[in-house]
Amino acid sequence: MIEIKNVGMKFNLGIEKDNSLKMMFIRLFDKKRRVKKSDFWALKDISFHVNPGDVVGLIGSNGAGKSTLLKVVSGVLKPTEGTVEVNGVISPMIELGAGFDADLTARENIYLNGAILGYSKSFLDSKFDEIVEFSELKDFLDVPVKNFSSGMVAKLAFSISTIVEPEILIVDEILSVGDIKFQEKSKNKMMSMIKGGTTVLYVSHSLDSIKELCNKAIWLENGKLVMAGDVDEVCNAYYNKIMK
Amino acid sequence: MLKSIYYNVKKYRFLLNQLVIRDFKIKYKRSVLGVLWSILYPLLMMMVMAIVFSNMFKFSMEGVNYLVYLMSGLVIFNYFSEATNSAMISILGNSSLINKVYIPKYIFPIAKCLFVLINFVLSLLPLFLIILFSGNPAEGTKCTLNIYYLLLPFIYFCMFMFVVGVGYVLSTVAVFLRDMIYIWGIMITILSYFTPVFYSISIMPEKLQILFKLNPLYIYINATREIFLFSNCPTPLYLLICFLSGFGMLLIGLFVFKKKQNKFIYYL
Repeated sequence: MIEIKNVGMKFNLGIEKDNSLKMMFIRLFDKKRRVKKSDFWALKDISFHVNPGDVVGLIGSNGAGKSTLLKVVSGVLKPTEGTVEVNGVISPMIELGAGFDADLTARENIYLNGAILGYSKSFLDSKFDEIVEFSELKDFLDVPVKNFSSGMVAKLAFSISTIVEPEILIVDEILSVGDIKFQEKSKNKMMSMIKGGTTVLYVSHSLDSIKELCNKAIWLENGKLVMAGDVDEVCNAYYNKIMK
Repeated sequence: MLKSIYYNVKKYRFLLNQLVIRDFKIKYKRSVLGVLWSILYPLLMMMVMAIVFSNMFKFSMEGVNYLVYLMSGLVIFNYFSEATNSAMISILGNSSLINKVYIPKYIFPIAKCLFVLINFVLSLLPLFLIILFSGNPAEGTKCTLNIYYLLLPFIYFCMFMFVVGVGYVLSTVAVFLRDMIYIWGIMITILSYFTPVFYSISIMPEKLQILFKLNPLYIYINATREIFLFSNCPTPLYLLICFLSGFGMLLIGLFVFKKKQNKFIYYL
């Protein structure tokens, strides 16, 4: 269950600017160059509720706040205001392979990345063969990941992060990884997880895949929630809006 | 509160383990001698220092095994310098990870301190070799093994807490002010001259000595020297000071880190 209440996420775009001592010194004397406080609300007043077993698609144009919302739900970002309540084990697939170390071999990375996702050693030991088999990388186990192609990295990462049956799965536009065969395989894996009752938050720009996988949808625009509800209704409204 | 700490420690112990192993593997991946460098490097560095300094300061230390005096200080100072430097950049270095997956951030500085601690323990090996094989009984410079060696783990543990505390403060500051990396490099150099590692505190003017004695690094170094060189037991009060300085710094570090950690992500 995910309960999001009045969540707002403020970024201060000013602080991203030049933060060196030189600039601080210049700003001390030159009022014009002082960074104006440019608050940017990536999310504003978002409220929704996700029931266990729901598969929710997040749609909206680039920069609408979809990924920020996923980060808030997964705990990477603390919301500026509002509350986030999440019950259940989260498996975030926000960016595949974020935890990989390029110098380590695939075998070593399975353990490192597994640990980052919060799995225990005994669990990884018991699931190791399954991960290797799903990733189709048996022959490359002792090769450093830096020599992998990007498709191979994605396959390995996908295999690690879906090895648990998480209660909540957060997926950010990753089903298009790997070759056609692997895409099909990963889609089936997602489907079987969904059937098993996993709650899914799914970001994609492909309305077709949203309609196929999800039963509910949330439409974000400029950090605000435009519409939430049944997947077909929301997708159609979104489609009509952008095609107008 | 206690329960959640226990739960976190249990859950992320394996991750801590993996982070330390990762650093260890990467460090020695491409070198021919591999892990042997962890022993060779401090040994060779110490030899260089010993050759340079033993002639300069020998006369101010009659009846003291200068080699052991120097090495016992060096191992602690080197640990402090290496561990604080790598803990400082640990948050910055793992920014891509922190941006994407939820992991308790406090794990990164402590993982670095633990990784360097492995090197520290390995560098104790050459120190013990020197203790066993150097010195001249006729001059009274022969060190002997004694029961107080059992206190060493405690003193080194206090040092570890101190270093972790400093590491937390530095890693926090470095996120907001990248210049800290260079500033700290200079401060370490200054500190290395103001810590009696290769000279004796007695060559300082009396009034200044008290200042030098307040340096926590000197407290740990001095406690171990009492044991190594003079087979003396540090007084209970001195051991208590060791503990309090280490534990106090750790608390300060944790407090600063906890206070600021939610803001890290905007600056990474």
